[in-house]
Amino acid sequence: MEPPVISPEQAADALKLADAAELRSARAYTYQRFAPYLFLWGVIWVVGYGATDLLPRLAGSIWIGLLLVALAVSMAIGRSAAPDRLGPKSNWRTALSFTAVWAFFASTYAVMAPVSGMQQGAFPPLVVAFLYILVGLWTGLRLAIAGLAVGALTLGGFFYLPQHFLLWEGFVGGGALILAGLWFRRV
Amino acid sequence: MAEIDAVIHQPVRLKIMAALKALPLHDQIEFVRLRKIVDATEGNLGAHIQTLEQAGYVAVEKDFADNKPRTRVKLTKQGRRAFEDYVAYLRDILQPPENK
Repeated sequence: MEPPVISPEQAADALKLADAAELRSARAYTYQRFAPYLFLWGVIWVVGYGATDLLPRLAGSIWIGLLLVALAVSMAIGRSAAPDRLGPKSNWRTALSFTAVWAFFASTYAVMAPVSGMQQGAFPPLVVAFLYILVGLWTGLRLAIAGLAVGALTLGGFFYLPQHFLLWEGFVGGGALILAGLWFRRV
Repeated sequence: MAEIDAVIHQPVRLKIMAALKALPLHDQIEFVRLRKIVDATEGNLGAHIQTLEQAGYVAVEKDFADNKPRTRVKLTKQGRRAFEDYVAYLRDILQPPENK
């Protein structure tokens, strides 16, 4: 191929084109990586909050079991997403991340001492919503929108449907995460 | 670099290279997703990927996932270097090294 002669204007246009494609690709990659985790947590919320509403006395055991399932599935997702790049170290990082999150909520509950199960149930989704909004503002708007939806639905259920809050959080909050997962899979 | 890389300097191929450059090292992207990102038709994208593959800039892997044929593309080391050189060349046109 004969090398073309490039003017500064053409060089600027080419760089703009490359930057736009790079940005679009990076966002699509972020969404694609997030999607299976949104599905996973959507299902965990539906099962966890639903079961907590039906069997409140077993709530602690139910959530421990679900978190162990979530940990195992998260490891599997991480391995299948990038088998060449992510070695056994990623399993340790995932396990330590879960431990850090658990320690955060346990210590927060110890310090703040929520007086009702509803408060305990509302706090994690609000933290998740806040993190999604924050990360989404810097990496991709869809994540921020998903966070906004989860936060608004959680607050709505907490203040306007207190008698059915856990069911609401499970099916509407969890459902929102599953829908967001579907949305994230689209380029 | 004395002259521009004519293989990369074509709008669709430039977008393909930029899109692949955004992925982590060794990560692949499915053909279908790449087509949406660069906004090209299937035939057009296939032809340009073939040109890039012949130049050694991308690697194409074909297999089956859930009993469906799947084509995945990734940037080679040579392609990553060529793209970086290409971008550096364009930046030099906008701001020649002696003016930096």
